[in-house]
Amino acid sequence: MLKAIGRARAPRRCTTNQFLLWTLPWAALLAFGLYGAGLCLVKGLNQTNMDNRFVFGLWIFLDLTVIALGAGAFFTGFLLYILKKRELQAVINSAVVIGFICYSGAMAALLVDVGQPLRFWFTFWHPNVHSMLTEVTFCISCYLTVLCIEYIPIVLKNRKLRQVPSFLVFEFELHKLMPVLAGVGTFLSFFHQGSLGGLYGVLRGRPFAFREGFAMWPSTFFLFILSAAAAGPAFILLTTWLVSKISGKQLVGPGVLPLLGRISGILLVPYVLLKSIDTLVWINSTSPARGFTGYQFYARKPFGGWILFAEIVVFGLVPALILLRRRLRESHGWLLSAAALVCAGIALNRFVMTIQTLALPTLPFDPFMSYLPSWQETATFLGVFGYGILIYSFSFRYLTLFPQEKDLQC
Amino acid sequence: MLSHIIFLSLFYTVVAVLCGTVALSLFRAACDFRAHRADAICWQATFPDLPAIERACRHEFTGEFEHRTCDRAFDCRGCQTHAALTATQSAGVAPVGPEADVFGLEFPLDRFYHRGHAWAHPEPDGTVTVGLDALGARLVAQPEAIELPAVGSHIQTNGCGWHVRKRGADVRILSPLDGEVVATGGPRQGWYLRVKPDGGDFDARHLLRGSEIRPWIAREMERLQASLASTGQAIMMADGGVLVDDIAASYPEADWDAVCAQIFLQP
Repeated sequence: MLKAIGRARAPRRCTTNQFLLWTLPWAALLAFGLYGAGLCLVKGLNQTNMDNRFVFGLWIFLDLTVIALGAGAFFTGFLLYILKKRELQAVINSAVVIGFICYSGAMAALLVDVGQPLRFWFTFWHPNVHSMLTEVTFCISCYLTVLCIEYIPIVLKNRKLRQVPSFLVFEFELHKLMPVLAGVGTFLSFFHQGSLGGLYGVLRGRPFAFREGFAMWPSTFFLFILSAAAAGPAFILLTTWLVSKISGKQLVGPGVLPLLGRISGILLVPYVLLKSIDTLVWINSTSPARGFTGYQFYARKPFGGWILFAEIVVFGLVPALILLRRRLRESHGWLLSAAALVCAGIALNRFVMTIQTLALPTLPFDPFMSYLPSWQETATFLGVFGYGILIYSFSFRYLTLFPQEKDLQC
Repeated sequence: MLSHIIFLSLFYTVVAVLCGTVALSLFRAACDFRAHRADAICWQATFPDLPAIERACRHEFTGEFEHRTCDRAFDCRGCQTHAALTATQSAGVAPVGPEADVFGLEFPLDRFYHRGHAWAHPEPDGTVTVGLDALGARLVAQPEAIELPAVGSHIQTNGCGWHVRKRGADVRILSPLDGEVVATGGPRQGWYLRVKPDGGDFDARHLLRGSEIRPWIAREMERLQASLASTGQAIMMADGGVLVDDIAASYPEADWDAVCAQIFLQP
């Protein structure tokens, strides 16, 4: 007998009116973003302040940053389903939703950035297999598909949808194959995070960013993977705390956030070490071989030496030391400050690798270039932000993002 | 050329794995429906979503464990811990004895009890009578509608036994056994289903009995009190008091959907 299963108990949420009021500003932001993106798609990239010299703008910075922050989805899945770190079950649904938002947001921004939306399928049909970006496009598209599939079981467990037995049985069977998806996701994520960094192995004309490494992989290939793996758990930590504060509910057990902090700290240490070695090699060998001393790049304001210090010490070493100390990790203030520093650090690193890279001269007679995004670019950027908040808000209201919440309310 | 082939092969392998995973899940789901496993799977899929307190192992009730959460969806038949703890007891036969009186509720000891408040009583002709225990009966007293499975249909352990609608709450009562429905009753008859167990033998290892009943019901009463108290109407139970016949009528403002979901194990 397969009758609909009775109504499920759901954690208490705010009233519909309160929820609509909350979504209003984010919906307005999304509408503003869609308008800006629409102008770029219809009228062309002349709506932006990018040009043939300054081709990486706000959108690429956004893409690289959100893709790194969204790495929490693959890394949490890897730790939970492959390494069987069961404690992470408490945040895996939220991590998947965050990953989905980050990757779909990045894909949307890329679609506008490419500037030929009707030809988006060319990259799959006429792939330039010599381009790192082809690999990145393929991996990101595939990984977004993985995230969509991982999102399905969360949606099917909605208290209304779960009343349909066929949905529940499909969800059950799909969930059994989750380790396969986690494995594929890890494989794809490693490669596209790496390939984004691998791009700098072929940027010979940009001595500030150009890196050498092992065989076909420059050092940035490994640094991008490691930094994303370290920032992902920190971002999940930060969002979980933020959602808990906004909703006024305890969402995860007391050990979960410190565990995420510890994972982030453990990965941050080798990253800071390798980044320091990489910087030293670049200053003493790679850059001089291209005709520049490394210090020359930091002689131009506002990108002084402080940016390197901030990247490695303030946003790398300091949070790593905080997150590795149990006593500091168990203090909410220290834990959250460190997680915020890690997330800010990844954003700064991606900013340096895109905007600063293009602003600096590549030849002795080149001028220092400046770039300020147009309002259309900024609108699209804010639209992605609004989209993310809306998707997460609806998911939090109607789906089970934190399975422990029910127990903690009992 | 070789690098082209390797790169595109890798990509299409990934796409094939993704499509294969979804297709395999759909195929397995279809097989589950064909093999009549869907009902049991629905229970397995929803069981982890129950709060931990509702997933407590039965051996918590009798003090063998201070805290233990069941990870087998209340199917003790394959549980080694349960088997070891009950090795000295006779598992298949219900003890015949007087009625247990728990908080004024009658729990005859000649039958087995499911955690979802259904009971099962083996009859001499090999069939099993299934009904609703005293606490469950008071929660859905004078229901608006009852939907029983058709005679000849098959029910599964922890799958849906029958449906009761009470004050807007659609309650599904979990079946205590696998078998074919041979007769249906109702609240007036004092039983709801008569079932011919699969394989002819009634395996009751997963059901509560005897000395487990009193501590289990004591905990259920605590949960009921907590559930009703959460609606802002704290209940008081004086010593010697007896639960009213229709609890819903005494709590007109309670969210009966949520109360029933909690007691009848609906996540």
